Amino acid sequence: MKRLKKHLTGIGIIKLLLYAFFILFLVIPLVAVFIVSFTNEPINFFGSFISMETMQTTIDQLKHATLDNFKSVFQNTRYLDALLNSLYLSFVVSIVVLLICVPIAYGIARTKLPFKKTISALCTIPLIVPTFISGYAFIIMFGRSGWVTYLYQALGGEGLFIDPYSLTGIAIVQIFFFFPYALWPMVAAFKVSDVSLEEASRNMGAKGWLTFCTVTFPLVIPGMLSTALVIFAVSFSDFGTPIVLAPTDLNLLVVQAYREIAGFYNWGGAAILTLIMIAVAGFVYWVQNFFFKGKNYDSVSGKPKQSKLNQNKLVTVPIAVFSGIVVLVPLLAMLTVFLQSIATTWGKDPLPKGYTLAHYKMIFTSSLGNIQNSIVLALGALVLSIIISVFVSYFVVRQQAVTLDFMTTVPLIVPGIAFGIALIQTFNVAPLQLTGTAAILIIAYSIRRLPYMVRSTVGTMKSIKADIEEAAISLGASTLTAAITIIGPLMIPGIAAGSLLVFITVIKETSISILMAPAEWAPMSLAIFQNILRAEYYSAAAMSIILVVLVLVLQAIANLFTRKQSD
Amino acid sequence: MGAVVVEGLTKDFSGVTVLQHINLDIKEGEFFALLGPSGCGKTTTMRCIAGFEKPTSGRIKLGDQVVNDLAPNERNCGMVFQSYALFPHMNVFDNVAYSLNIKQLRKSNLFKKLGVYTRMFNSKLVKYPKEMKQKVMDVLAYVELTDHAHKLTSELSGGQQQRVALARALVMEPQVLLMDEPLSNLDQKLRHTMRNTIRKMQQDLKITTIFVTHDQEEAMSMADRVAVMKDGQILQIGTPTDLYSNPQSPFIADFVGTSNILPGTFLKHEAGITTVKIGNQEIKSVTKTDQQDVQVIIRPENIKVLEEASITDDNSFEGTIEVATYLGSTVRYEMKVGDYRLIADTIYESGHRILQEGYKVRLGVSPERVLLI
Ligand SMILES: Nc1ncnc2c1ncn2[C@@H]1O[C@H](COP(=O)(O)OP(=O)(O)OP(=O)(O)O)[C@@H](O)[C@H]1O
Ligand SMILES: [Mg+2]
Repeated sequence: MKRLKKHLTGIGIIKLLLYAFFILFLVIPLVAVFIVSFTNEPINFFGSFISMETMQTTIDQLKHATLDNFKSVFQNTRYLDALLNSLYLSFVVSIVVLLICVPIAYGIARTKLPFKKTISALCTIPLIVPTFISGYAFIIMFGRSGWVTYLYQALGGEGLFIDPYSLTGIAIVQIFFFFPYALWPMVAAFKVSDVSLEEASRNMGAKGWLTFCTVTFPLVIPGMLSTALVIFAVSFSDFGTPIVLAPTDLNLLVVQAYREIAGFYNWGGAAILTLIMIAVAGFVYWVQNFFFKGKNYDSVSGKPKQSKLNQNKLVTVPIAVFSGIVVLVPLLAMLTVFLQSIATTWGKDPLPKGYTLAHYKMIFTSSLGNIQNSIVLALGALVLSIIISVFVSYFVVRQQAVTLDFMTTVPLIVPGIAFGIALIQTFNVAPLQLTGTAAILIIAYSIRRLPYMVRSTVGTMKSIKADIEEAAISLGASTLTAAITIIGPLMIPGIAAGSLLVFITVIKETSISILMAPAEWAPMSLAIFQNILRAEYYSAAAMSIILVVLVLVLQAIANLFTRKQSD
Repeated sequence: MGAVVVEGLTKDFSGVTVLQHINLDIKEGEFFALLGPSGCGKTTTMRCIAGFEKPTSGRIKLGDQVVNDLAPNERNCGMVFQSYALFPHMNVFDNVAYSLNIKQLRKSNLFKKLGVYTRMFNSKLVKYPKEMKQKVMDVLAYVELTDHAHKLTSELSGGQQQRVALARALVMEPQVLLMDEPLSNLDQKLRHTMRNTIRKMQQDLKITTIFVTHDQEEAMSMADRVAVMKDGQILQIGTPTDLYSNPQSPFIADFVGTSNILPGTFLKHEAGITTVKIGNQEIKSVTKTDQQDVQVIIRPENIKVLEEASITDDNSFEGTIEVATYLGSTVRYEMKVGDYRLIADTIYESGHRILQEGYKVRLGVSPERVLLI
């Protein structure tokens, strides 16, 4: 009792609250998914504690646990197909992305590439656009009445150039919108890889391309594999593209899981798919950490040696043309969305019939609520993740709280749709019926983005020396007061940088929004998604543009901040 | 009854004993130095007193209160850190006012608390009460920083930062002032000035002070009493002169000032004079001993160096100069005597010549100045 009292200082209570938060909203939901995969129906976890009756029901449910769901993974072709298709998609996407990125990265890092600045700048576009908007852009380009289809048929082609509603379509969208995730690390690798080795090779008489194949390229292979795994994970847990593009007869894990829960209320099926998703994502994360720790491009340290840039036109011009084509696709996609948003009507023609701002006007009169919702939800998630990450980083840095550290990395391996399903299953009945409230939405957003925020705040926390805090304590402040008056203010720069990132990603967030947002709290992403489903393409386009502009503006502010910090 | 009493303080860090049964009894208003080589446990001792480390065993008393179970923020120990640990986001005034703000925070209701928090966050938003302002300005005046009150601490020089740290600790009127190597980040000259500043302040305010240092000159010139530590134990506690003239171990003799330490064997004791053999020389001392093997300790300034054989002392040897160093007011000779080397400091008088290398001299030491341990 006395010991307990001692731990119940202000800061001790906060630590307990943090643990409670993570257990309640991360551990229990994940455990619940696991249990539901056996019981086939959601169990009332919290109810069991307060009512004997519920407890009895839960026990009965547990008694009737079966392995049917696990068996069905191998028997039910829907599930098995979903898994295989998803793995196949992510595999193809990561390989193609690698192949695309090698020449572009080499061009940017090692050659006098014409239009290098422009190409680099255009490479950031895909990072700004939420994937379901990219998917939607492909529909209006490559669909039946898309302008690409028009050109293709005008040139004598038959049918569609590429069917956007297919695995190929999904793969193409992911390739063109995920390649920057691999490009920048690879550019860094080409910049720092040992230039002196190459020079040695050249001195021994090796030709330029031979040097590239035998020295330059092999040096960056471990890093490339690591990057491929990152792309694999991103593609595997992407929900936006498949949900917009996957036709009903194409099973992918993320889509199937969504359909199980939103369409059939098949709790057991959703649970087993969620487990599979987490297992695959976790495995990829583990492989990446286990084999490639320290081999990531960004962990290559030391000053890059100034290498001579390759000026050979035979090399640079083809690379420039190739890079141009790659960055042009996302750009054209966004321009298409923009044109659609200001078109009166746009049928099967290269350009719209006329132009109007009516769609924007309509959004600002009838859909303002969605914009508001997005901002309010993002702000809520922002505040929550600031509070959590500040204290988490305090405990991690000052008290070596390993468990908390681990908990904040767990969301990295749980795909958004999987986490959403876990939360819905856990909180859909009294006494803790949170499904359908803004609160659970905000909590879900913050937990999803916590790893990034915590990384930023832990960095700042580490730069604050322990004796500054001890000085405050020796002057009479309690640990909590010292945290509020000294540590807090000193962390503001780190918080600012991290929080803009959180804000942006929450606004872009698709899976949680589509799965969990109730109608009265529908954010922009959900509104766009529903417009696409209803084929209201013009307002979807206008809303998409507003979302992208919002993200762009915030991103610019964030860049300003980080630049100031690094000054 | 001391102001700070440490009884049997022992501290383990995951099984490794860092402090072994430390006993200290520091008087009210005393300037007490903890002196010892790096890693001997000075900081740990101080952190135990301040409450930042929990003793493995032993008692710590401040005044007549046992504080073992008292949180560090309730002990009223002012601390000055080696790195100063000033709050970088606050100006000098706000740094110094910190403990006063905290005091007010403890006494206030919720509404007032918010006001104090706001002031600590940005002192432009909520004003300081008049008496608080006065108190801070008084302390700042005392450390001669009145003109710098509204500067950021990063805009100050090292010495000024040091004084802010001092003022910040003083303003809370601590029961004890703890200083951990406060001067080690300053340059040589400033260090001398700050020694005087700190010493003067301590005497003016009569504040009980514990001062940690590994610089024996600093400890000896500032403290009323010095505790010499080694490997987590206290070897000797005494006034500076006491430590200097009566070191109880060769380690202290060497650490506190410079000493010639030679191994000898006991020969005889007659009429209050002990005779000891060093190599094939004999040396007389007034120290009594009952050991067979002794350490013979002679301070360099107690060795006379003469050109002629006119020594009348009881102890006189022949030696050859190996190195002569001119130190301003003194000359230090390193000499070979038999198989041993001795160091002697002689007062340099202008006009005298400095003896050169290879020169044969006679040395004399009076038996009163030869210490046997
Ligand atoms: N938190 C800790 N955990 C483990 N060992 C520690 C810890 N703090 C100090 N020590 C060890 O205790 C011993 C004494 O450390 P302390 O800092 O008290 O030395 P010091 O006398 O202040 O040295 P210095 O003059 O270098 O500051 C050292 O060997 C140190 O490695
Ligand atoms: Mg120390």
